[in-house]
Amino acid sequence: MNRKLPNLLSFMRIIMITTVALLLSAGSFAQTQVRGVVTTAETGETLPGVNVVIKNSTRGTTSDLDGKYVIDLQAGDRFLIFSYTGFDTQEVEISGRQTINIVLKESKMMLDEIVVIGYGTVRKSDLTGSVSSIKSEDIRKITSNNATQALQGKVTGVQVTTTSGAPGAGLSVRVRGVGTFNNSAPIYVVDGFILDDISFLSSGDIASMEVLKDASATAIYGSRGANGVILISTNRGASKAGKPVVTLSSEYGMQQLAKKIDLLSGKEFATISNEIRPGSFNNVDAVPNTDWQDLVFRAAPMQNHQLSISGSTPATDYYVGIGLFQQDGIIPKSNYQRLSLKLNNTYRLFNNVTFGNNITVAPYQQRNAPGVTYSVYRAQPLLEPYYADGSFGVVYNVGNPLADLEYSNSFNNGLRGVGNVFAEAKIRKDFTLKSSFGIDAAYNKSTSFTPAYTVYNPDGTASQQDNQFSNLNKGNSENLNWLWENTLSYIKTYGKHSINSVAGFTMQKSRSEFFNLSGRNIIRDDSDFWYILPAYIMDEANNINTWQSIGNGVDAGLYYSMMSVLARANYSYDSRYIFTVTFRRDGSSKFAPENRFSNFPSFAAGWNIANEAFMKEFPILTVLKLRASWGMIGNEKILYLNQYSTVNSALYAVFSNPDASYPAATYSKSGNPNLIWESTTQTDIGLEVGVLNNRLTGEFDYYRRVTNDILIDLATPGHLGNGQGQRVTYNAASVLNSGIELNIRWRETKRDFTYSVGVLGSTIYNEVLAIGGNSGIDSVLMGGYLGNGQPVTLSRVGLPIGAFYGYVTDGIFQNQAELDAYPHQSLAGIGDLRFVDVNDDGKINGLDRTYIGSSIPKFIFGINFELAYKAFDFSLDLQGQTGNKIFNGKDVVRPDPYNFEGYLRDRWTGEGTSNTVPRPSFGGYNYTPSDYFIQDGSFLRLRNLMFGYSLPDKLVEKIKLQNVRFYVKGTNLYTLTKYTGYTPEIGGYDVLSNGIDNGVYPLSAVYSVGLNINF
Amino acid sequence: MKTFKYISILVMVLSISSCKDFLDIKPQGELTQEAFPTSAADAQLATNAVYATIRGWHYHSGGFPILDIMSDDAHKGSNPNDALNTVGPYDNFTHTSTQDGLDRWWSTLYEGIKRANVVTEKVPLIAMDTNIRSRYIAEARFLRGLFYFDLVRAWGGVPLVLTTTPPLKVPRSTAAEIYAQVETDLLYAVARLPERSTYSSMELGRASKGAAKALLAKVYLFKNDFVNAEKYALEVINGTEYYDLEPEFSHANSREGEHGVESVFEIGAFELESALGNQYANTQGVRGTPNRGWGFNRPSENLRFAFDAADPRMDATIIDLGEVLDGITIQGDGTTPDFVYDNNGNIIERECYNQKVWIPGTNTASQFGHNRRLIRFSDVLLMAAEALNENNKPADAHIYLNKVRERARNGNPAILPDITTTNKDALRDIILNERRYELALEGHRFWDLVRTNKAAAVLGPLGFVSGKHELLPIPQNEMDISQGTLTQNPNW
Repeated sequence: MNRKLPNLLSFMRIIMITTVALLLSAGSFAQTQVRGVVTTAETGETLPGVNVVIKNSTRGTTSDLDGKYVIDLQAGDRFLIFSYTGFDTQEVEISGRQTINIVLKESKMMLDEIVVIGYGTVRKSDLTGSVSSIKSEDIRKITSNNATQALQGKVTGVQVTTTSGAPGAGLSVRVRGVGTFNNSAPIYVVDGFILDDISFLSSGDIASMEVLKDASATAIYGSRGANGVILISTNRGASKAGKPVVTLSSEYGMQQLAKKIDLLSGKEFATISNEIRPGSFNNVDAVPNTDWQDLVFRAAPMQNHQLSISGSTPATDYYVGIGLFQQDGIIPKSNYQRLSLKLNNTYRLFNNVTFGNNITVAPYQQRNAPGVTYSVYRAQPLLEPYYADGSFGVVYNVGNPLADLEYSNSFNNGLRGVGNVFAEAKIRKDFTLKSSFGIDAAYNKSTSFTPAYTVYNPDGTASQQDNQFSNLNKGNSENLNWLWENTLSYIKTYGKHSINSVAGFTMQKSRSEFFNLSGRNIIRDDSDFWYILPAYIMDEANNINTWQSIGNGVDAGLYYSMMSVLARANYSYDSRYIFTVTFRRDGSSKFAPENRFSNFPSFAAGWNIANEAFMKEFPILTVLKLRASWGMIGNEKILYLNQYSTVNSALYAVFSNPDASYPAATYSKSGNPNLIWESTTQTDIGLEVGVLNNRLTGEFDYYRRVTNDILIDLATPGHLGNGQGQRVTYNAASVLNSGIELNIRWRETKRDFTYSVGVLGSTIYNEVLAIGGNSGIDSVLMGGYLGNGQPVTLSRVGLPIGAFYGYVTDGIFQNQAELDAYPHQSLAGIGDLRFVDVNDDGKINGLDRTYIGSSIPKFIFGINFELAYKAFDFSLDLQGQTGNKIFNGKDVVRPDPYNFEGYLRDRWTGEGTSNTVPRPSFGGYNYTPSDYFIQDGSFLRLRNLMFGYSLPDKLVEKIKLQNVRFYVKGTNLYTLTKYTGYTPEIGGYDVLSNGIDNGVYPLSAVYSVGLNINF
Repeated sequence: MKTFKYISILVMVLSISSCKDFLDIKPQGELTQEAFPTSAADAQLATNAVYATIRGWHYHSGGFPILDIMSDDAHKGSNPNDALNTVGPYDNFTHTSTQDGLDRWWSTLYEGIKRANVVTEKVPLIAMDTNIRSRYIAEARFLRGLFYFDLVRAWGGVPLVLTTTPPLKVPRSTAAEIYAQVETDLLYAVARLPERSTYSSMELGRASKGAAKALLAKVYLFKNDFVNAEKYALEVINGTEYYDLEPEFSHANSREGEHGVESVFEIGAFELESALGNQYANTQGVRGTPNRGWGFNRPSENLRFAFDAADPRMDATIIDLGEVLDGITIQGDGTTPDFVYDNNGNIIERECYNQKVWIPGTNTASQFGHNRRLIRFSDVLLMAAEALNENNKPADAHIYLNKVRERARNGNPAILPDITTTNKDALRDIILNERRYELALEGHRFWDLVRTNKAAAVLGPLGFVSGKHELLPIPQNEMDISQGTLTQNPNW
């Protein structure tokens, strides 16, 4: 045995070596390699990143930084296909060559990139709709938790407003004006999944964003497309030169209050107080001077880190991303952090079948500061923040904001998971069948605790800032939404005819529930005890009012199911004449069975004039395309419960002695079972121009959107018994939005020097066409409630949505003679504002209130400048708007003596001293809502300023990296505006309250440094 | 790959066929009106809900006590600037059809009517104990009568709604038609409601036969039908059910007298700042220190000096600064001047508060526990006296009038002597004045002046215009919404 074994082993070794040698030699016969360099025809430069694919296979590679590629061949491989965005694709026969150098020509149609549209893609030249794209570099340029912010000033027709500077706060996004009185936010479609927001997405994971604006583009989303659609594609696996790509980016920034509000100093306030109430302060030089803004706002760090690994093998594309976003607020005790994990895979199962997944999991934590912005604004500057013994000083009428902060504990924690799995099969070459099933799950937990605390008056008694019992609020909400989409697409070119079409069937179900609970007098203040025991909810012994402290219900906007069929055909003849027809039929559980289904068609045509024979004489024009579209789309984001007539079971009768409560229930207000979708009819005419080989490009659009059947809550006659203030929803309003959008860009490359300048602008015209019906319902909509419940917007026919409403002022009553000569309210005196008798009835009363401005800008614009020279790059983005007004709501509500804005230095102090700022008062007549509180909200903002430097390639190669770039960046560095508040970007809690500044969390300026590494 | 296609087509077909179910999602946690009320328990819930209306703030003349403010008994109150333009105008009759509170009162009365209509329309269809069912319907009709009585007194003829599904446009009925409906409802209630004592003590506060009769007597007074007013007032006074005056005048409205012998119909409320409490008293409660409320409805100098000298009811009606109540010293509000003088140095207003809503306690919430007495036995006695005088029975009128004065006298023979005059006109004035002393700040005075045609004389100096201010203007929003269906009251 012992002697035989080595023989056997050596025998086997011989066989193995022979086999390997045979295999290797066989390989050297059947498998060859092709290598080469890709260059451009125009400049002769090498082109990195060019896709090189073997025809009729899934094997391929990309050219490296020097434009070089190497690709392995198998028996039967005959052709290589070279493709690169902006260049003509080339197909080359290998014919046994081992080196194939390729010169790619810049595409005649530079715009002939592939554009992602709903349920498919289309060549830019075949696009008949209005679609704007934003580059991933621009998305990453913005330091924000929400990538949507990158659209601001970068895409025409899109207005993005940062409604609050609080970490993790949401945005207000409007596409082409405000189309409804209800939710007018666009929908987001992330890798095919329809969502309401994308706060869970790390901007580093996003490959592209496109905004679908006109009906031709949005009608495929039917009942959800009316307010625009933002399509987002996340990164998919790709290799560079056959190797996985690792990208690391890291940014660290410091935020600061971008602007302080000019408020009075202690001495100034004391002086004015003495004018209002003589003798209030004996020595105005001796009063303290507290700058509450300095005490509350701080510099705060933020950081954003992203690591991603992406690769491609013949069988698999993979992308893995990990992102960490962390932001502290400039108000203490506010912060936000989000971890996002991204996993996008594609598996090629057979030649014709692929399947894959897109998964994002994003846990987040948020801490919310109490609303101290308002109290900082109001707190009198001559009050001490702390007494000598270190206790909090009393801030009369407002509460000490530092104490509010000290005792605030408000947290949100949650998890959002969005993912889908899909399978795609190519059938008979031209058909693709795709099925995708996805889930969007969100879980949020909120906890807020305020301990019992008291701020004491100097005499030891409790001030108004007196929380006698600790309070604890806990809330849970969960949302599960699934979507199943099946599409069949057909793409075929026969000679000059080319067809790109898709049809599909989708089903969706969404459920959302919440539960919250409040308790008082929790036994200990530590977070370990932040749980609610029954004893803390029902504390009858202490006479603590705890009724209705339990909430349990569904989120009516997110509790529904939908089922739809959809179809689109895009036909192009000779790349000259293009037609698109789109159709979607949606059914939704939100409406009564007879109103449940609705159809959303659109038609569009395009003409590539530049491709006509007669245009050959004008070679300067690379692109000249005219397009027009018409279609109907809907908005179903409504609270569907309004269709039901429900029973109110939260009532009680009280009988007996001692009191005993008896449950009661009866009809609450009548619902309106006839509710249907809001429908928008949109017409769009567009012109696309490319000149000088597309160095100069331009895109112009005119649009007109009319939204009908807008759901509004209208007052009904009292005799219906719906009760005071109860409103019933009707499809009873129409709104027009129209405007012109233009986007012009010049870009040029000269050797080491590349630069581009882009200018874009959009006009918005907004008008209410109808409110109310012809019987028994109201015809105006009041809204925009101030802190004291006073409405200051009124929407009616002929005015913009949410128009400001109040008295018109016309100077100051300078003397008794003037006062006597003009109609005035009995409260008006000399030195007070003069209200205009608008209806000329000789009286000043509520009937004289009128339109005093709109928060909707007339023009929004952006100017973008980019420059790269050798290793240096620089970019500058300006953004702004004009024509919008702001209602300074925080100034007008004055039930008690508060501090004043600096403009009171120019107050009226006697005849002829001022005709703009009235005599000072702590409230009352002059603080009646009027145009005195309307300010011009126009602004020009230096939104982004960035300077970058990339290490030289040679150095980078030495350290085995591909690209290393450092940058410094400033965000929101400067805003040119006349508005006296923190920021002229004022959102609102609904479309009727936009532009009312009730004391928002201020915007911050951010100074950051960052690093990008690829290897 | 054909199988792929077939499978998907099959799936699609299957899905579409089940589409009806897929899109059928019922509202969660919400009962719809088709499914209510359907059981005996539901019937009780629906009946209780009508009572929930009268504890609501808006039920009480829209929230603020504008009826007293419009009378000579009270001014707006609170500090001078508070609600100056919203409530203030009622004080000098400069209110308009858009005045604050009008729409609240109007719509809340109709909300109550709708709740009553739910009972009258749906409860008869429920299979249950017929006695209890009959009582529920009678309770609802009593309350519906109460709501329409307020509507017709405040606005005259109004839209008459007796179903839960009225059309969007309903024109105004005449005042006579509304009164007829009130009479029908209350007669129904009188016939079917049990007496107060047959309710269990746990259900004190439900409408009773006595309450229905007392309210009916009042309705007849407003219709100048003194025969019927006398009949029903005397049925309450001399009937088998025991009602009497509280020995102590102040107890008639205070915590001590809740659901007591003098209470004919009252609104129960917890001492809680929630739906279980009633903000009626908080609205009028002492402003400042102690902080019991907003301090509206300030007793006027006119009222203060209208009382006979030494009438103890003056002190029991008005809380003055410095007064000590239940051991608490009333300090009042720092932003309210203690006195307001005219150019001649006469006091035209002083800081003082309505004592009839005072509730002892330690905090603001306690004020929410005041049980407003809608009908007191002393009111019934004075109604009887008034009707008897009108029916030329002065001697009988003296019995009931003097019973009220006797209690007010509180054992002091030196004050408030018995009334003996038999002169009909003189006695009428005396009874009207007695109503003022006895029922001041309880919401009666303005309507008493209007129904006795004395409003122009008494309130004229305050701005009252005859032919206009007897009624309130129909709320402007109702006018607008009706798009021409409603007509405005004369001279508004």
